[in-house]
Amino acid sequence: VTSQIKLCVCVCVCYLGNQERGWNDPPQFSYGLQTARGPHRNLLNKRAAPGILTTYASPPSPPSPPSPPSPPSPPSPPSPPSPPSPPSPPSPPSPPSPPSPPSTPSPLSPPPDYLHGVWWVQVEGIWTHQTHFGNVDMMVVCVTFDLCVQDQVCSDVAKRLRLLEDSWRSGRLSLPVRRRMDTLSLALQSGQWDSADEIHRSLMVDHVTEVSQWMVGVKRLIAETRKLNPELLEPLQKPADPDQNGSVS
Amino acid sequence: MATYQEFIQQNEDRDGVRFSWNLWPSSRLEATRLVVPVSCLFTPLKERPDLPPVQYEPVLCSRANCKAVLNPLCQVDFRAKIWACNFCFQRNPFPPSYAGISEVNQPAELMPQFSTIEYIVQRGPTPPLIFLYVVDTCLEEEDLQALKESLQMSLSLLPPNALVGLITFGRMVQVHELSCEGIAKSYVFRGTKDLSSKQIQEMLGLTKAAASGQQGVFVFITRFLQPVHRVDMNLTDLLGELQRDPWPVPQGKRPLRSTGVALSVAVGLLEGTFPNTGARVMLFIGGPPTQGPGMVVGDELKTPIRSWHDIQKDNARHLKKATKYYEAMANRSAVNGHCIDIYACALDQTGLLEMKCLSNLTGGHIVMGDSFNTSLFKQTFQRVFSKDYNGDFRMAFGGVLEVKTSREVKVCGTIGPLSFTGIHHNAQWKVCGINPSTTLALYFEVVNQHNAPVPQGGRGVIQFVTQYQHSNTQRRIRVTTIARNWADAQSQIQHIESSFDQEASAVLMARLGVFRAESEEGPDVLRWLDRQLIRLCQKFGQFNKDDPTSFKLSESLSLYPQFMFHLRRSPFLQVFNNSPDESSYYRHHFVRQDLTQSLIMIQPILYSYSFHGPPEPVLLDSSSILPDRILLMDTFFQLVIYHGETIAQWRKAGYQEMAEYENFKQLLLAPLDDAQEILQTRFPMPRYIDTEHGGSQARFLLSKVNPSQTHNNLYAWGQVLRGAPILTDDVSLQVFMDHLKKLAVSSSA
Repeated sequence: VTSQIKLCVCVCVCYLGNQERGWNDPPQFSYGLQTARGPHRNLLNKRAAPGILTTYASPPSPPSPPSPPSPPSPPSPPSPPSPPSPPSPPSPPSPPSPPSPPSTPSPLSPPPDYLHGVWWVQVEGIWTHQTHFGNVDMMVVCVTFDLCVQDQVCSDVAKRLRLLEDSWRSGRLSLPVRRRMDTLSLALQSGQWDSADEIHRSLMVDHVTEVSQWMVGVKRLIAETRKLNPELLEPLQKPADPDQNGSVS
Repeated sequence: MATYQEFIQQNEDRDGVRFSWNLWPSSRLEATRLVVPVSCLFTPLKERPDLPPVQYEPVLCSRANCKAVLNPLCQVDFRAKIWACNFCFQRNPFPPSYAGISEVNQPAELMPQFSTIEYIVQRGPTPPLIFLYVVDTCLEEEDLQALKESLQMSLSLLPPNALVGLITFGRMVQVHELSCEGIAKSYVFRGTKDLSSKQIQEMLGLTKAAASGQQGVFVFITRFLQPVHRVDMNLTDLLGELQRDPWPVPQGKRPLRSTGVALSVAVGLLEGTFPNTGARVMLFIGGPPTQGPGMVVGDELKTPIRSWHDIQKDNARHLKKATKYYEAMANRSAVNGHCIDIYACALDQTGLLEMKCLSNLTGGHIVMGDSFNTSLFKQTFQRVFSKDYNGDFRMAFGGVLEVKTSREVKVCGTIGPLSFTGIHHNAQWKVCGINPSTTLALYFEVVNQHNAPVPQGGRGVIQFVTQYQHSNTQRRIRVTTIARNWADAQSQIQHIESSFDQEASAVLMARLGVFRAESEEGPDVLRWLDRQLIRLCQKFGQFNKDDPTSFKLSESLSLYPQFMFHLRRSPFLQVFNNSPDESSYYRHHFVRQDLTQSLIMIQPILYSYSFHGPPEPVLLDSSSILPDRILLMDTFFQLVIYHGETIAQWRKAGYQEMAEYENFKQLLLAPLDDAQEILQTRFPMPRYIDTEHGGSQARFLLSKVNPSQTHNNLYAWGQVLRGAPILTDDVSLQVFMDHLKKLAVSSSA
């Protein structure tokens, strides 16, 4: 089961920096690129041997008295550039391939832009709010044992998930965000808490403008759900099966 | 010397230590004659994936004023289960748990390969980490929005059990209550009036911690500092709703920014609630403090913020007072083990010159950018929360360093992100914010009198004991014990010379230079540096008197003059062309990086890419600038990719788009590919400059290379022009070396 859901965060995306606000702003790398833990290549760490500059053995010959310098000839216009010589110039070392991204789950068909429906179901004393986003189930599990605190948490989380719904439904979320949310909810469903957490972090880092309003709700959902007694979650979970269309268990 | 190179490298790999001299002169007088002091660069928390920590307490010498840690240099009597301290010679019995040790069954800390060893100790409840955000709201809308998003993002990066707090400020200072329910409340302070720590605690309703005598009983939770996992939703909303400072800014004026009081409240809050716990104050500013204690400039725009010229003419009104104010605050923070970061993003200066002590004395970061809405700030900020190979945060807290030396040697000073806390039985410093790359410089004095006998076969020993709070809240102790042989300088000067580590020495002298530059006049520092270099050449050069052409340096010193040449031209010692804030920023990073990065800062690395062969390092010299080459220069703060004239013309003509010139496309991409690792991992993230022959940004390259060809000497020797001449009056390395040789061999020097 665990091998089915792999992390889809090694997205090798590199955006240009913000040249308007910051001169020489460096490129922006995605979360996956920055956290990938490949071996250190340590490429640019050598200096040229100083050689002639600091050999003290051979003295430079004393300069002859300077003749009056001839006026520098006017700079000639740059000659039309000739193309680089075709006969195989040594190609620069091919850029080493980035650590191969873990295989993504088999492609999910992009979620259609409509909702199947939203309903509340009470299962063994636990309220669940199941929402279809296209082909994907998203669950909110609210624990009702400890009413005082958890009720508030429940409604706070639900409020943010509704925001997520709105944004999704009205087409305000970009495709990369929707794709990663698909993966996140699959991870949630199969109990892959760490994966889900990592995906939420990658979304916060790479797409904070789009997700900041509601992502903290998802973060809390992951945190609270993983603390629950696994037995309570059984009826609601589905094992990771990427081919499966979302359906109520 | 191949053997010393290997020795030096092995020691650095194992212990994180690089000494200027690896054979020590046996008397004080001889040590001073060596010019470069016996000193070392030390990386206390060097990443050692091969060194698993041990889960027991270190064994200490029982003598009250010694307390050295058991180490591989101690004599051990396995039969009698006794060990002799190598510092004070006290004989100590092993604790009962060591009853089973023998020659063939030794504890790790006795084995030579564990000269560096880490202990995990249980010392009561482990307090959570604390992050206190102090946020300037006098920002432009776009900047504020970007900053808010970065702060919201950071909540996802913090460990869930960490405590988090928020103070916002502009004209007033607001401390936000982070309760989970109900109406958001905050306490407001006037930005003009400084308050004592006690007053702040009273006004915030913090009763003195009912902390029992036991250290670290953290029953005291304040509503201003709450666990992330409990308040993340509320705090995310709170951050999202932050508005610009509402006080209108009249034409011709700066916003009233009360940074001084805001920090005072932050430091006072932490002092009153969590003294002696790992905590991080993170200050985000978009401009200078303009009111209240610690103000750096007034609110009239027509009065510019101080420049180096103003300072040299003693025309910086607020400088002394503000610096003193922040220094006092920094010391208080250091005593409590709290570190302070400054994230300053603005187009003009923000007062880093006055505030730098806040970070320099506490081991906090300084990040300087143009705007919070840049990838430089966003990614650098993300990297504050970077994790190591174990998935733990690299940042560590509450570092306390003790240095123990054998009696012939003592510590006479340190340079780095630490503050001295006084002498107990050892010398002790606090490094409140510490990470695996933090590197300290320690300077030693040999105290043996001249003509005192060289301790036969004896070695000088130094033990570094670093206690700290790991980011997973464990308390750890890392112990490094090193030894070097004594040598009689009269008879063994050549051996001492071959033990010279020119790279480490260059950085150690450079740090001394920076230290002096911060307290002395600029030209005096250069004169001092030159004098030391000349003395070193006089001592170790081989030459005939008054014959400069005969001058030679051995291999172990041959690179040293070149480092000094580049150091003299560097922004660490040359303030020309940099604002006081920029100089402070560069120096801040210079005195805390490890040796490799420090050398890059002194003498940038230059790589050449062309069709003639694979990429290769080339001399940092104007002769390396050729029309058919792409150059990649790493100065640590900038990555510059410079396209030679022909390359630039091809690029402009668009050859890289044509299928048959795929190799040109690859050539253009190659430097960026190689620079990826640096761009993705370095802290702070470097600026990225793409320029070409004739481009205005080419100045970054031209100002760094040795100007061996200038408009002055272009036609002097009848040489073929190779490379691009540089329009400068700076001396070239060749001229510098010529002068140096002349002075070194002169009998009248």
